[in-house]
Amino acid sequence: MVESSRTASRSRAVIGESQHLLFSVAPGALWIFVFLVLPSLYLMAVAFMTNGPYGLPQMPLTLDSFEQLAGFGFLGWSPGNLYTLLRSLWQTLIATVLVVMVAYPIAYYITTCRVKWRAIMLLLVVVPSWTNQVIRTFGWMNLLAPGTPLSDLAQWLGVIPPNMGLYPSNFAVTLGLVYNFLPFMVLPLYAAFEKLDTAQVQAAQDLYASPMRTFWHAVFPQTLPGLLAGTVLVAIPAFGMYVIPELLGGGKGMMLGNLVANQFAGGSNWPLGAAGAILMLIATFIGLFAMRRIGKRLGGGEEVVI
Amino acid sequence: MKKRTLQRGLSGFWWLTLVFLYLPLAVVVFFSFNAANSAARFTGFSLRWYERLLGNEQIISAFWNSMVLAIVSSVLALVIGCLIGYGMYRHRHRKLGWLIVLIYLPIVLPDIVFGISEMAFFVSIHRYTGLLQPGLLTMIISHVTFQIPFVALIVYSRLVGLDPTLFEAAKDLYATPFKRAWHFLLPTIKPALISAFFLSFTLSIDDFVISFFTSGPESATLPIYIWGAIKKGVTPEINAIAALMIGAVAIAALMSLLFNRQGQR
Repeated sequence: MVESSRTASRSRAVIGESQHLLFSVAPGALWIFVFLVLPSLYLMAVAFMTNGPYGLPQMPLTLDSFEQLAGFGFLGWSPGNLYTLLRSLWQTLIATVLVVMVAYPIAYYITTCRVKWRAIMLLLVVVPSWTNQVIRTFGWMNLLAPGTPLSDLAQWLGVIPPNMGLYPSNFAVTLGLVYNFLPFMVLPLYAAFEKLDTAQVQAAQDLYASPMRTFWHAVFPQTLPGLLAGTVLVAIPAFGMYVIPELLGGGKGMMLGNLVANQFAGGSNWPLGAAGAILMLIATFIGLFAMRRIGKRLGGGEEVVI
Repeated sequence: MKKRTLQRGLSGFWWLTLVFLYLPLAVVVFFSFNAANSAARFTGFSLRWYERLLGNEQIISAFWNSMVLAIVSSVLALVIGCLIGYGMYRHRHRKLGWLIVLIYLPIVLPDIVFGISEMAFFVSIHRYTGLLQPGLLTMIISHVTFQIPFVALIVYSRLVGLDPTLFEAAKDLYATPFKRAWHFLLPTIKPALISAFFLSFTLSIDDFVISFFTSGPESATLPIYIWGAIKKGVTPEINAIAALMIGAVAIAALMSLLFNRQGQR
């Protein structure tokens, strides 16, 4: 009797807990499911549909959009989309490397400053990213337009032909990407530098390691988790960037994000845009997966939290 | 000696980086006071672009759209995200892998994919049912979707940081779960709720891509208006409105600095 009542109360408690889970988590889970998972699944389905008039998707199911994405059209194969993809990869790579090269010394420098200055310095790095992306990019348009001091300087140096501006160009896109993503790299690197174990550096120096070797063996491995987290935060959104190439790149600076967006913004070809989105997602997940693997292998067991 | 040169070099590099970070913003603010309609030559100080702003009904309505969108979406996301955060905490010993995937999805999805998924979804639903016409409502729905995870994670990490015995004490003190929530839980996580609200608000104001793809003809926000104006051909009015938005960010930065200072004392 006692036994059964106990199980009864326990099962009631289990039901209570499950109900609790339902009431607390269900609204949000349902919201994300209905307004993000379903739309994403729908988008994937769209990629396999036929492009109807007005760019809206229709039955029957085909693989046309993927063929178009690969560059096959009415006039045979053209390399335009392939160039766009390669350009996206290239810009992402260059921008990420440049961001690391700027952020690494900056993050280190902040940790060498007095504690009371550090919060202010970090704030100074982050504040520009609080302004809207469109405004920041507009600022660069103002700076790089023809007739501005920077463009005049570039003309004088012979980097660009006379009467041209530094934008639109691939260079302007790279610059915009570096500008946009710098804070995302500084913050995780700063966190890594702040908890740097200086005993290791001391040990290396006591053993007469050269500064180079000290850096590579005692400092760099410790900052690797921050570096990887920053790379994820920079490279993945950079790969899908839309605003910066659209405003600073011009026709020859288009990236995958523009290719995808233009199929929707112009209303020309939803299935093609959806196929591009799938490609972008695959790249994103490969990137995330690769970073996790690298993090696990090199981070010395420390999980890289993304 | 060598260390000193390194330090000096780093400090120079730091100031250069600051110039790099603030130059584009400074240029926008500077040319918003330009008398001439040019972003290359400064001919004299003038406030005429600001005067023009006040007369521009499109900009005024874009401003209100931005505000309504940011506030409504942040409040909704706060309620829904707070519930999820609490649920994740209460049931953290269970296997909730699916929930974690669901919550991280809006964060890892590239915003262009996010935006066009929503657009395709809303447009198709509207075509077949007449509901969810692209406009402020669809924008609010999309913004809440990307704000929920941030609120949930902030609330969750605040709860994890608390002493678990506090919950036992609260159970002894207050009889009903609602009283417990009202007198114990909400006051305890208030700092997390405040910072979650401000983060949601900032995310909403900062967003362009997702708003752009889910907006309707009459629900343009300030960034969407600016985008359109840039595409049509730059006017100094944009400098003025952009300068005002940069000013708002500067004020927010100063406030967070003061907030930090007080927190440290």
